[in-house]
This record gives sequence, C-alpha cells and structure tokens, in this order.
Amino acid sequence: MRLKRLFVANRGEIAVRILRTARRLGLETVLGVSAADTESLGAEMADRVVVLGPAPSAKSYLDVRLVVHAAKGTGCDALHPGYGFLSEKPELSRLCESEGLAFVGPRAETIEALGDKLSARTLARETGVRTVPGTDHMASVRDAQAAAAELGFPVVMKASAGGGGRGMFKATGPRELEASFDKASREAESAFGDGRLYLERFVERARHVEVQIIGDGAGHVVHFGERDCSVQRRYQKLIEEAPASAVPDATRARLHEAALRLTGFAKYRNAGTVEFLYDVDRDDFYFIEVNSRIQVEHPVSEEITGEDLIALQLRVAAGDGLGLQQNDIKISGHAIECRINAEDPKNGFAPAPGRITRWQAPRGEGIRLDTHARQGYLVPPFYDSMIGKLIAHGGDRAQAISRMRAAIDTFTLEGPKTTLPLAGAIVGHPDFRSNHITTRWLEDIGLPAFQAG
Amino acid sequence: MNIQPQDIDALIELFEASDWDELHLKIQDFELFLSTDPKSRAPGTAAPPSVAMAPAALPTAARESGAGVPRGEAPRAVPGNWVAVTAPNLGTFYRAPKPGAPSFVELGQSVEPDTEICLIEVMKLFTTLKAGVRGIVRQVCVEDAAMVEFGDTLFYIEPA
Repeated sequence: MRLKRLFVANRGEIAVRILRTARRLGLETVLGVSAADTESLGAEMADRVVVLGPAPSAKSYLDVRLVVHAAKGTGCDALHPGYGFLSEKPELSRLCESEGLAFVGPRAETIEALGDKLSARTLARETGVRTVPGTDHMASVRDAQAAAAELGFPVVMKASAGGGGRGMFKATGPRELEASFDKASREAESAFGDGRLYLERFVERARHVEVQIIGDGAGHVVHFGERDCSVQRRYQKLIEEAPASAVPDATRARLHEAALRLTGFAKYRNAGTVEFLYDVDRDDFYFIEVNSRIQVEHPVSEEITGEDLIALQLRVAAGDGLGLQQNDIKISGHAIECRINAEDPKNGFAPAPGRITRWQAPRGEGIRLDTHARQGYLVPPFYDSMIGKLIAHGGDRAQAISRMRAAIDTFTLEGPKTTLPLAGAIVGHPDFRSNHITTRWLEDIGLPAFQAG
Repeated sequence: MNIQPQDIDALIELFEASDWDELHLKIQDFELFLSTDPKSRAPGTAAPPSVAMAPAALPTAARESGAGVPRGEAPRAVPGNWVAVTAPNLGTFYRAPKPGAPSFVELGQSVEPDTEICLIEVMKLFTTLKAGVRGIVRQVCVEDAAMVEFGDTLFYIEPA
C-alpha cells in the first residue's frame, strides 16, 4: 500500500520532526492542532491544518474520537501519534484500524499487553528475559538467608503488602539480614497488617539502558543499538546518549538479543523501546518495560546508525515491511542529546512558559537541533515544557561531548528560563566525561553542584 | 515580557476551561484579572476588572476574534451586535436531528438561549448545540454535513 496523506496527531518538536520526513517522502500532511498552536512551526509546514479544539489537551490532543474524525474528515490514510498524548492508547490504534486508517504504531493488543506491567513481565519470563531477581514470601530468616545467598548481596527486604518505600530494608550481608529480618517483618505488620516479606536483588549502582527496535508485525524485528539515559531527575530523562559505552560489548550484545527475543515473540509492529536496568556492579541487566511508541530520544539512535526512524515507521505502517536486515544497520561514532525544557532548574524545575525573545541556534559539524521553537515563539502553559532537543554526533564520545559543549556555549536563548545551562554543566562535569554516572547521579551530585554554582 | 492579544485569548481559554473562581496575573505594567463573579474586583484596585465573565455562557460566548471566521471564506461584515455561535470542537455540522428531518432552526426564526440549533458529530457521537442567546437567526454560515473546526462560526444571531 502506498500512503498518500498523513495525519499528525501531535504538536511541538515531534510534529515538526514527523512532518519533515513525511514531506521528504512526498506524503501530503495534515496537522491537527489546538487553538493555542495555530501559528506553530508545524502548522506552517503542514499542507493543511485543522483546529481540533481549545487549548486544554483533554479537549484537543487527548481526544481519540476527535483526532480520528479529523483524520478521516481530511481524507488521510494514515495517522502518526508521535509520543505522549495518545501514542500509547490502545483505543487510538483500535479505532484507526476499524476506520481503515493505518496507525503508525503497534497493534492495540500489543500496546495493551506491554502497557500492563504484570503481563509485560510475564512475556519477559516466557521469552527468558530476566526482570529484577526476587523471591516469594520468606517464611523464616533461615529461608531468607538461603535465598539471599542465591540472589547475591546486597538484597532488599520488602513488605508483600507494602509500597512507596515503606517497610523496605537493605541488607549488604548475612549479618545485616539476620539483624533486620524480624524488625522488617514487625514494621510491615504494623504498617500494613501483614508481616510477610520477600527479597529482591538490590541494585546499588544502576544505569538506564534501552534498546531501540522496529518490527514488521510478523515476527521480524531489528535493533538500532542501545541508548544510555541515566541522567534523570525524578525518572525524567534529561540527557541521553548512544551507544551505552559504559556497558561492556558482550553485555550489550546480550541486551540487544534480549530485546529482539521479547519483541519478536510479541510479533511487535513498528517502533518501540525495550528498557532495562543495568546493574553496574554485577554487570547484569533486568527488563523494566517496553515503550510502544517513537521516543523523545530517538535522534541519538538515528545519528549513530544514519537511519531515519520516522521514515521506517511510515514504511512499516504502509505494510511494506522493514526493507532492511540487522546487518544493514551499522553503528558509527557517538551521539548525545540534551533536552531543552522551559523550566527553571535553579527553582525546583518550575515551568517557565513565556515568549522567547532571542533564539540563535548553534550550527556546526555533527550538530542537530530538533525543535518547534524560534524567536518570538510563545511557550504555551498548557503542555509539556520541552521546547527542543540539541543533539551532537562525533567520531567518539569525547568528540560528541566537546561538540555538545561548544554548541551549548554558542546557543543564544533568551526569554523563559530553560534547562540548557544545566545541560551544559552536566556534560562539562568530570563524572559525565569519565562516564561514571548512575540514575542517582543527577539528584545526588550533578544538581547540587549546579545549584551551588 | 511582551503580552500579545493571543496570549490574553489563551489565558481566557485556560480560565474558561478551569474550575477556578478568579485569575489574577501581573507582569510588570501588565495586569489581568478574570473572575466568574461580575462584582469581583482585582485586589488593591477600585477600578472595574479588565474582563468580567458571565458564569457558564453556554454553548459559546460571543467573542469577536479571528478564530470565529471559517477558513477559506472572506469574513462577511455583520452588524456589531450579532452574536456568533461557534463550534466547540472539530466535527461534522448537521442542521437537522436526522437525515430528511426539518432543520432545527431556519433563517429569521426566533430562538431562546436553550433552543437547539444544530448537531456536531465526532465519530458517531452527537452533541447538540444551543443558541445560548435569545434572538433571531440571521445567518447560517456552514453547509449541512460539512466538517467544521473549533471556533468556526456556525450561526449569527441578532439578540432580541
């Protein structure tokens, strides 16, 4: 099937990103916007713009029926959901399918199966992909000792009925386990009325590593290497890079293989990301979840592979298959992405909407900027605060870092407060340069250092 | 910070969509006070509020703004007191409750605020729009069964 007209059901930089590839491929484009986005860069690029509803996203970007009605009403034959908003709503995939629109994403059943944590973990187990190793209920401290010896210290004792960190005790060795087992059980009993405990491996130093895949929906899946997204604040990624060069090659090969096994078994269709927790001290990894959409950080994978992931998404949606084999995908160099959010990192990351009064984007070899922002743009208060992504590609990690630092230094951005200065401080930090980062690093070290500076 | 008219529009929309009673915004010399209570005043001012909104002016308040002009049509001059009824969202506009049935309203017909005047369909989900004002239907701006977008003017009503 040849796609003719694409409906873009998103806004901001990802709408611009999708429109750019769609235009390059010769597709006609329709962008559905809210009343707040009628003068956006995406609205200028699209062949046609329709106003879905008022500014609040619940009445515009988040209404499944509204976007499908708009796509059909404008004669589109495919719909790209971008990320966020409706991208992982199985209802949208299902409604597109029943209305004869090609959904640029997975089947509804796949989104459902992977969106549910329990069924995703079951799928992982069925395909031999490990989650964080743990136990069932421990009847006694002796059972717990035996289990902990098998899991390997450190372990964490958790209340079966618990949650939110309460009733959790870490044990670094048998003596500590002996000493705190009864206490943990008593605390669980008083807090939750249930003293039962189970054990889990405790990951002292973790990195967030994820594998980019695309599947054809018939069981053929390829990967585009992995990304390291360990620079996070409250589980929000700020900086992403590819490849995950802190992870040994052999482990990375096992990661790729695990991601392909899991998504191949699910006959995964279109782009997805398999997220893992990488245990630095044990050099081991555990499955977290699958994100069934294109992700914010996809450009770093594009930079190191030279592939256009949006173009591949559209190809798969058209039913033309992947058109490439695993050995066609070559990894070259290193890429880093910094998210630019209109937030004040020196004031609790308070959202900072407002008008961009000066915007002079950096240029240079290996520099890419994915954005919908420009001078005079008003960052509206209704949506996600991300206004762009600065990407630097180099022959190796050191070169990517130095290109990124130079790009940040020459970026003139005035108006709203942004996270760009923080990104500059992070990529210039010795810990980042030596790649000794964990998922705790930003909150424990990077942010206090920046805020004191 | 340079406040533009569309910024104020956006703020008013945000306020209308919220369940807030009041919004008070001050940026340097610019001050905006919105309230659902017509008697309410901005703190520290004796002057009338910049904008006082009647509570729940359904389905759509008559606001003279560019968004009320259907795309592709030259805006036709209408008397300043005519009230535009605009589309609350994108959808298909129907003048009659079902195919073949008489239209909800005809040109020249008198309407009350709660008179049903058209349907907006979104994927077979139909929403009835009401006139929102007492008066006479002076213009029907959209063809039956056409797709309309948010903010498109559907009717003009001359208030009685």
